[in-house]
Amino acid sequence: MRQFLKSARFKVLLVFLAFLVGIMIYAVTKGGYSLSGASFINTITKPFRTASNSIAARFESFTDKMNHADEYYEENQRLKEQIGELNKQLTDYDNLKEEVEELRKFVVIKEEHPDYIITQPCEVLGYVTNDPFHSFTIDRGSADDIFPYCPVVTAEGLIGITIDVSEHTSTVRTILSPDLSVASVSSATNADYGIIEGTVLTAENGSTKLTHLSTENSLKVGDLMITAGNSGLFPKGYAVGTVTDIGIEANGLSACAEIKPCVDITRLSSVVVITDFAGKKEDSDADQDLP
Amino acid sequence: MRIKTSREKRIFRFKTTLRWIIYYLIIFICFILMTSGTWLKPVLLVPAAICIAKNNDQMPAAFTGAFCGFLIDIACGRLYCYNAVLLTVFCVAVSLMFDLWLRSKFINYMWLTILVSYLQCWLDYKFYYQIWNYDNVENIFVHVTLRVWLYTIISSVILYFLFKLVDHFLMPKEHLTIEEVIKTS
Repeated sequence: MRQFLKSARFKVLLVFLAFLVGIMIYAVTKGGYSLSGASFINTITKPFRTASNSIAARFESFTDKMNHADEYYEENQRLKEQIGELNKQLTDYDNLKEEVEELRKFVVIKEEHPDYIITQPCEVLGYVTNDPFHSFTIDRGSADDIFPYCPVVTAEGLIGITIDVSEHTSTVRTILSPDLSVASVSSATNADYGIIEGTVLTAENGSTKLTHLSTENSLKVGDLMITAGNSGLFPKGYAVGTVTDIGIEANGLSACAEIKPCVDITRLSSVVVITDFAGKKEDSDADQDLP
Repeated sequence: MRIKTSREKRIFRFKTTLRWIIYYLIIFICFILMTSGTWLKPVLLVPAAICIAKNNDQMPAAFTGAFCGFLIDIACGRLYCYNAVLLTVFCVAVSLMFDLWLRSKFINYMWLTILVSYLQCWLDYKFYYQIWNYDNVENIFVHVTLRVWLYTIISSVILYFLFKLVDHFLMPKEHLTIEEVIKTS
């Protein structure tokens, strides 16, 4: 052992360790951009990860069918009953049509927000290994004009924000994470403001939490929460999720609510990134809003 | 001392090169498996790095540890080189222990893997979750960290036999002359 400690090999190892620590410190100062080595590995492994993910998705879907066969059978029966019921309601076609028109407006939110500059649809390469908050990697990066802290959405609602961007891939932090806060407001009242922020417990159910809500709020279960657009990180008026439960915080000073995101964040296949929108804050300012 | 023939030297070089290619191929497969699917998965690269470190010199062990750690950083979205530094230190320690005190037995490999993977998982939990004081953070330890650790231990058994198979065919065997045996004994 003493021989090893005195040997040149040990000194070389110490230099190597210092080099690694240096890279680690350098990575911290990169401000959300990947190291070129990581970018290289991400680029090299991208096709393999895509292939293995498609295999894993098929395998998971197969085992899911096997495990939940009874559940699916019951669901099937229930859906059949529902179809029968819906057939009876065909007479209310006009009402339904109006409803569909409203939903269509929501889906084509891009048309209503011409100020948004969005990327081509990004494929989800895979979820970050063992992350309880379901961060994931997409197949587009700085080469597609994506940079750190861009909002990531689907037509249904907000997903999260890009945090680590390399040339051809980006990592997305989701709204299930406690490290991402989104100022939001109820679309029904346009008055009940709060902060949507993930917690460990809600993330287990694929939900997130609305905090700093006034105790005299008029929020109801089922209300849609949209982005308030105060921070300049997210565009104003984009759907985040619906209220599933309302309560009072442990300190008794404010109310809180459980929010079910508009999209199932744990099973995403493609998303889009909003690279620019009206009211967007500059990068340097946006950094300061992040926790 | 026994002099190697040029043919033996060629075979030695070929086997060593092939062995390292297979090592890195296994590492690559482990990385791909770690980045696939949405379930909790074992950190396969930790037992893989230990398997390589236990039968090799400190320098290759250190570089392999750093490489595996760097891949873990990419797969798990951690600060680049955080796991690389950890695994470099662990792999050098493992290599030294097997060189100086331990015999290359399954039981020794297992307790070292259990210890190293626990330290890796525990430090990950400490630095990435507990340090930020999230509410109910212990849930992550119970539902994620401990499960990942358990899966890693289970998968390390398979990796041990896989690397043992590779070493059985491709690890150069020490040839001792009669004079060397007498001198050693």
